[in-house]
Amino acid sequence: MTADGFVAALLADAGDEDWPSRVPHRLDTVLAALPRPARAGVHTAVAALDTYAVLRTGRRLAALDPDERESVLGSLAARPRLVPLLDILKVPVMLAAGTERMPSAPVSARAPEDPPLDCTPAQEWPTRSTADVVVVGSGAGGAVAARTFALAGLSVVLLEEGEHHSTASFGRRAPLDRFTELYRDGGATVAVGNPPLLLPVGRAVGGTTVVNSGTCYRTPDHVLARWSKDYGFGIAEALGPRLDEIERTLRVATQPLDVLGNNGRLALAGADRLGWRAGPLRRNAPGCKGSCQCVVGCPTGAKQSVQLSVLPDACAVGARIVTGARVRRILLDHDVPGAPRAAGVQARRPDGSELEILAPLVVTAAGALQTPPLLRRSGLGGHPRLGRNLSVHPATSVAGRFAEPVTAWQGVLQSVGVEELHTRGVLIEATASPPGMGSFVLPGLGRELRRELEGTDHLATLGAMIADRPSGRVQGRERTLVRYDLDPGDGHRLMAAVRAMGRLLFAAGAEEVLTGVPSAPRARSLAELDALLTSVNARNLHLSAFHPTGTAAAGADAQRAPTDPEGRLRGVRGVLVADGSVLPSCPEVNPQLSIMAAALAIAEACLDREGGPAAR
Amino acid sequence: MRGTAFTETMLGTIRLDAKTRERRIRLDLHAEADGILRPHRTTPARLTGRVRIAGFADDPRAEGELEVSPLARRRIRYQLAFTADGRRLTLDGWKSVTARRPVESMTVLPFTLYEGDARVGEGVLRFPLATGLAPFLLSFRFPRRESSAEHFPPRWNGEPGRTEVWYTTLTDPASGTGVWLHHEVTAPADGSEPFAHGWVAAFPREGAVRHARFGPVPWTRPADGFAGDNVTVVPGELTGNAGDFHWKLTEHPQGEPLFTFPRWSWRRPLLPAAQMLPAARATYEGEFSYGEQALTLRGAPGASARIYGHGNAHRWTWLHAELGGGDVLEIVAAVSTRPGLRRLPPLVFLRLRRRGRTWPRRAERTALGWLGMGRFRAVFGLPKWTVTGRTAFRRIRVEVDQPAERTLTLEYRDPDGARAVCRNSESADARIVLERWWGRWRPEATWLLDGTAHAEAGER
Repeated sequence: MTADGFVAALLADAGDEDWPSRVPHRLDTVLAALPRPARAGVHTAVAALDTYAVLRTGRRLAALDPDERESVLGSLAARPRLVPLLDILKVPVMLAAGTERMPSAPVSARAPEDPPLDCTPAQEWPTRSTADVVVVGSGAGGAVAARTFALAGLSVVLLEEGEHHSTASFGRRAPLDRFTELYRDGGATVAVGNPPLLLPVGRAVGGTTVVNSGTCYRTPDHVLARWSKDYGFGIAEALGPRLDEIERTLRVATQPLDVLGNNGRLALAGADRLGWRAGPLRRNAPGCKGSCQCVVGCPTGAKQSVQLSVLPDACAVGARIVTGARVRRILLDHDVPGAPRAAGVQARRPDGSELEILAPLVVTAAGALQTPPLLRRSGLGGHPRLGRNLSVHPATSVAGRFAEPVTAWQGVLQSVGVEELHTRGVLIEATASPPGMGSFVLPGLGRELRRELEGTDHLATLGAMIADRPSGRVQGRERTLVRYDLDPGDGHRLMAAVRAMGRLLFAAGAEEVLTGVPSAPRARSLAELDALLTSVNARNLHLSAFHPTGTAAAGADAQRAPTDPEGRLRGVRGVLVADGSVLPSCPEVNPQLSIMAAALAIAEACLDREGGPAAR
Repeated sequence: MRGTAFTETMLGTIRLDAKTRERRIRLDLHAEADGILRPHRTTPARLTGRVRIAGFADDPRAEGELEVSPLARRRIRYQLAFTADGRRLTLDGWKSVTARRPVESMTVLPFTLYEGDARVGEGVLRFPLATGLAPFLLSFRFPRRESSAEHFPPRWNGEPGRTEVWYTTLTDPASGTGVWLHHEVTAPADGSEPFAHGWVAAFPREGAVRHARFGPVPWTRPADGFAGDNVTVVPGELTGNAGDFHWKLTEHPQGEPLFTFPRWSWRRPLLPAAQMLPAARATYEGEFSYGEQALTLRGAPGASARIYGHGNAHRWTWLHAELGGGDVLEIVAAVSTRPGLRRLPPLVFLRLRRRGRTWPRRAERTALGWLGMGRFRAVFGLPKWTVTGRTAFRRIRVEVDQPAERTLTLEYRDPDGARAVCRNSESADARIVLERWWGRWRPEATWLLDGTAHAEAGER
């Protein structure tokens, strides 16, 4: 236990309850899943705090009594520059505390049996093998591409760095254990910049679709028109029927109200009073039981993430999935006339050994953050725009305190969409989360934080995401380094979103709105909120980001787009890009359907060109 | 155009899916590529060899493909089909070459074993550097890859005083009859018009030797072979009639070209004349008839040869002996017509193609030795003549018997107008003894040809 004193101070542990003493141990397991720099950062900060306590009191935090610890924290909180740092340290502690304070009961209902997948661990996959198509990544794009090629009669091997997790396994384990397993870097992927953004991405068979909220927006028509006209992404014109097909596959439907939960109902009520456009979201979760655990894998199997919907179809026609295989590089044949030709991939097993699969067609669907480094490792990073043009949906959340218990974690995790401001690039979605896992950070330290923690069942949470200007880039070859500098215009929109969410919560009857900003934590009226927000800018907000796209954008202009309008990577033959990175710009909505429809169109275009298996 | 050939042995282990025990596996491979193996390019090659898997397979007739591309594709891929326990299996694997681990990546071959499309095993083969490197490197050969057809078009370029010959000899395996087809273009030294002529002869086991002449007719300069007086020679086909002889034969080359004289002397006609075989051996199909006799040839062994030069030698002998098993012996021994050279003993050009290799390695060796020392010797005479010779560790003795009743004597004229006489038998006898020195001379091979040797002795 590396931070027992710090945890005790932060949670004002007076020994009257049992659960705070378990938090340091849980924190250690959370930290173990983080990348080494993040882990080192936390350890250094905790050590610095302990040193401060020794200098101030002569003893370490763990040896102090609750009042002394409160005094130490109080003296730290008095320094405004330190508060944001303490807020960052709070995040993993809240994650651990949320789990220990309210351990979720194992799902009582028997988990349904998943449709069968043909998964083979990389250790058991032969060192040398061949296929017609290798797909790198089993997320939204990779799954659809694999299914399309497999249905055309080609032999498809799908390589996935993560492991396969069944619905039953989700039901057996605590949300936090799943959280650290299902996310890359334990969920601590950060976009470096001002302000830094937390950018969680999934890593499992099914990719981020295993851990997304299940919200399924069709690509807006104006976005499709822009992609087609401004970027020359011709596929966008015919995306409509493909979106239909994907919606059928994922069984997308409007979320029924019965399991919506109080969080969503309050958002609907607020919007209704304001006369704003809002409604239950369209989701790919028929029969959702409102477990509110979408972000750590649906324990009831209701959410039709691709490992339950698309991949079983692919496996039924012969596609094979190799798990635990990180693709090192795409193999190229250089001694052919013209551009080099893809010959397969080389992947690394967890034990460090390597395997190779030869295939004339390689589909990269490793996600917008992993595809550019993979291409660079393969010697295909020559296009100056590769890795640039990164769009994320910068997002922030606001909580409202209500007199009546809300118990936001009982119901649908992301339940209601408020589209009133969507034309201005702001999409508000009522988003609850399992305790501690939301992007909303409770205000205060010590006893204040403990009080907030005790009162979380009265909080309703809204999130807003911004259709941003693509202002990030993905660097690195071996490890991904994401840089993202928030565009000033996007910052203004974020502030407008915070205000709109506050307004919505007050309209729904909130007594108090928590902004999550340490320097301006709470407002009891809209006027007070407006006054509060005058002293705050977007850099003070706790920002997360989701839905990275655009890092290998498709387009007609060979100078600006690394990928051609049919998804073929330029400068090489036999490499398709079929994930979020191929989208030319921000899709402005949750991009699951857009990515899947684009991958479907790219795969179909390839089959049309090559004439299917007969031409091979 | 040269090819590449080498042998490689690899040892390793294999685990068959059905059984958990690892078995030892050994590959003894021979690779042949049509081009020179260039490390920075991709060279496809054919694989043949033996696959042994302990207690499971021993197939000496494995076949497959090799793709050698250590730099361009960083891959050396082996695909080998073999039979094990009545099952047809395919081994597919490749070395993945990397500069980080050059030795390991060039010597370790992970592979997968398939039965049809189903995977049935997996293993790793290793090239044993300590014991395998020297044999591997010494096995490299770069044999020429030539098609026999490219040697059929006429060489004559209009110079007077030249003669060019297409001749074919074969033995009908059914009847034992020897056949000789001789097609010749003569450009007289006096500058008069060149003419085509020739003859056809049959050497039956029983009965007299028969022959008929065709031509002379003016030379029409065909592009791809010989044509004149209803007789044609093109690559793969010989047709014609002369007197009561009629023939229509197809020729199937069975080996690489064989240059009896040094290769350079065929390319650049610096010697008075040179002879070569577009294919060291050939088989013939078709009809050959004369008088009342009609032969239907099926796989008849023989060979076509080409001569180009100023004319015949002062004296000469020639032997083409089909030794069986793809082996062949070709000898030309000649005394030049040039003043001075005429006094020298015969120059012997002896080429023994055995198991795909030609001995001695250079044609000059038998004719000249080392400044005359150790050259091969010929003793002319009829009905018997002999050729003997040795290299460092091998020696040969060839005795040819051309019985008079099976020998045909023909007269013709050289470009300079001199009369030449050849005495030819396509049903001669020959005895060939090959010995190898290993402490003492030990017999290596002996061939007795009873009426199947093709031989000639001549003078002018």
